[in-house]
Amino acid sequence: MNTWPAWLRSGRVLLGLGIVALVALIALFAPLLAPNDPNEQNLISTFLPPAWAKGGETVFPLGTDSLGRCVLSRLIYGARIAMTVALVASFGAMLIGAVLAHVAGYFGGWVDWLIGRTVDVWMSFPPVILSLILMVGLGTGLRNVILAIVLVDWTRFCRVLRAEVLVVTRRDYVAAARLIGFSHWRTVTREILPATMPLLITLLSLEMGIAVIVEAILSFVGMSVGATTPAWGQMIADARQYIYDSPWNLVFPILLIFITVLGFNVLGDGLRRTLDVRLTETKRA
Amino acid sequence: MSMLVARDLTVSATLDGERVPVINDLSFALQPGKVLGLVGESGAGKSMVGRTVAQLLPQNFAVTGGSLSFAGADLVTMDPEARRALLGREIAFIPQEPLSALNPVLTIGRQFDEHLARIGVASRDRRERMLAAFDAVHLQRGADLLARYPHQLSGGMCQRVLIAIAFASKPKLVIADEPTTALDVTIQARIVRLIAEMQERDDTAVMFITHDLRLAAQVCDDILVLYAGRASEYGPARKVFATPGHPYTRCLQLANPAMRARRALYALPERMPGLRAYRDIAGCAFAPRCPLVIEDCRRAPPPLVEVGAGHQAACIRAALAAGISAAAEAPGAEPAADATILEVSGLTKHFTSRSLCRRTHFTAVKDVGFVLRQNEFVGIVGESGSGKSTLARVIVGLETASEGRITIAAKPMDGSAEADAHRRRHVQMVFQDPQSALNPRRRVASIVTQPLEVAGQSWEARLARAGLLLREIGLPPEAATRFPAQLSGGQRQRVNIARALCAVPRILIADEIVSGLDVSVQAQLLNLLAALRRERGFSMLFISHDLSVVRYLCDRVLVMYRGGVVESGPTEQVFAAPAHEYTRTLLAAVPPDDPAEVWLSFRSHA
Repeated sequence: MNTWPAWLRSGRVLLGLGIVALVALIALFAPLLAPNDPNEQNLISTFLPPAWAKGGETVFPLGTDSLGRCVLSRLIYGARIAMTVALVASFGAMLIGAVLAHVAGYFGGWVDWLIGRTVDVWMSFPPVILSLILMVGLGTGLRNVILAIVLVDWTRFCRVLRAEVLVVTRRDYVAAARLIGFSHWRTVTREILPATMPLLITLLSLEMGIAVIVEAILSFVGMSVGATTPAWGQMIADARQYIYDSPWNLVFPILLIFITVLGFNVLGDGLRRTLDVRLTETKRA
Repeated sequence: MSMLVARDLTVSATLDGERVPVINDLSFALQPGKVLGLVGESGAGKSMVGRTVAQLLPQNFAVTGGSLSFAGADLVTMDPEARRALLGREIAFIPQEPLSALNPVLTIGRQFDEHLARIGVASRDRRERMLAAFDAVHLQRGADLLARYPHQLSGGMCQRVLIAIAFASKPKLVIADEPTTALDVTIQARIVRLIAEMQERDDTAVMFITHDLRLAAQVCDDILVLYAGRASEYGPARKVFATPGHPYTRCLQLANPAMRARRALYALPERMPGLRAYRDIAGCAFAPRCPLVIEDCRRAPPPLVEVGAGHQAACIRAALAAGISAAAEAPGAEPAADATILEVSGLTKHFTSRSLCRRTHFTAVKDVGFVLRQNEFVGIVGESGSGKSTLARVIVGLETASEGRITIAAKPMDGSAEADAHRRRHVQMVFQDPQSALNPRRRVASIVTQPLEVAGQSWEARLARAGLLLREIGLPPEAATRFPAQLSGGQRQRVNIARALCAVPRILIADEIVSGLDVSVQAQLLNLLAALRRERGFSMLFISHDLSVVRYLCDRVLVMYRGGVVESGPTEQVFAAPAHEYTRTLLAAVPPDDPAEVWLSFRSHA
């Protein structure tokens, strides 16, 4: 037990990791887990309640929607979109944000100024509007959803990380590395990046939660993947019209989004607590 | 009657559920109008004594035995309310870090006013009292000062404000916890004199906590030397200094470089046991480091016995203590070969700070020129802000010079890549603060062989090299796999030096590398540098605000003042016959070797 790294021994991290892993496994094995074809319509049995409620059928464990599609199957397939977006989009945003943050914080001067002002301008757009505009321009589709999220959210990484890079760059050991003859590249990757990595990982897990929400918003307004691919936001949008006929259809996707985002946030919080050197250092002192 | 009397005072800490005595059976008495010095290295428990009196003990610490009486009343058993009422009114505290002791978001006046309100001064009298207090500590324009914030004042001014606040209530006892450690020498001298002045005016008793035995010998009437939470020696300052009754006192004396004559330093080996090790100590805690140790020392803790009139020492071989002398010979001023390795001429560095509509220029280094010869150690002294560190950073290439020339081993530094590579081969820097200079995520072996990483050498080759380097700088081989956080301050500084030496530079630039270290660790490092110089032969620019250290180590000295060199020459000559007014001020600010000498017109102890 004690040979495990500290971050794996934290209850928060384990809980968050557990939730995220569960959703990821569901997404991965969707074809095996889903009881029905998520797009198969069954117009005779629309608005069926869950199997345990009165009038429910065991074929559709969580009931059906307005077109008689299996809600459980749609949820399971929807997890694929959510997880793909969460992982790929946040990695993309992290990559752009982290590279620019390190360049800005390490070199300073006009480079820092330029990147800083770009972030300022970028962040003055309301993020949801910006991604909507992007989606209108790019057209729907999974790849474009990811692209839109990356283009909107890299600023979050850039701004927070830049401050950290600035602090680390002022340490004497960075100056010492330069005096010894380290190139800029080696100084940043060997001396600075290891110090900013904990913050980066923490931000990444929080960003994954945000990406899930943004994707849900976009698909809610029909600006995400096409109508033929099940997505959680889409399910909410559909169910919204029949909220009095079939409240269940609204509850399940919302619950799933809630649990997934909670998982990412708990994971991020746990990582922050265990990886943040400053927090652990003060505890030791 | 004594103002403060401790009898067998014992303070314990609860660490991981275990109770460990931190202060053991300490007894002392402090008379009104007298100064008691608590001396010892960090970890000796001297601050803990001060904090016990001031009731500032940390959460898990408590008095577990003995008594501590203030003006006849026992502070330990006293009702907490009554005890609190004494603080600030009868007992005042001057802290070590003046800047962090003042609230940064309140004006000086507001903070002083709050204090006066607490001690019950009527609101219409307060302003007058404040101005009078500032006047007493020689702070000019007191009315302006009231509206200022702490960050707008220098460290020395903040310390004066705190002294003014401490003495405002005319306390009977003032506890000064290393009040000058964070300040420059010239300011230290003024602050110490100020405390003495205030103390004489009000006939206050002062407990003066310091690590500087020489300063204590000047300032204090009595000295209590602490080691590992126990009194090792207690007596009149002059006697303790002239005929130390405990080997520890004598070793501290010998570890401190002398100002007048150049003599060898005695570097105490190892270090003081940590708190957790206290309970495992069977005999004398100092025995493992003591040059006089015999078998009997390890049996039982030696009692405090009389070695002279009013002079006690806890040593069974007290009579021999004063006879200890340093074995290692002083680093002879090795004749530097007449080859110039570094030449600096007309070096100037401006900084520009830009605000929205205005640019302000600030000249940190002004027209500095000097020559460093092979195998020569040159000291650079001056107060903080005199441009010493900037000069160093320009020479190693961390800053670029605004004007002037630097020539390293016959090659001018013109900013070309070739010149930079040449500079890196020849010059290395040892940074001041090892905490910041060592990457906390690298192991020691990886840190000291960083230059080999650039050359792309294998890990095995680097480990082998690390082993050699560690032996050379006196660290055990198992340190190679440790992280910097697992080392002591002195060990970290050794690692810091080892990294600079790895590339076999011909010039080493050391920026305040022994400041902030205990005197025994400082002596170890100074001896190490002297030994390395004998074995390797390199030149060094040694930047320090501590004149005695420069006196010990360096062949020549440059005195810097406001960015320029005001005096330079062979160390002996500059120290014996300073030509410039500023050099004289600096030298006068250092407490003399012999406490019998008059320093800063201090009252004599006779």
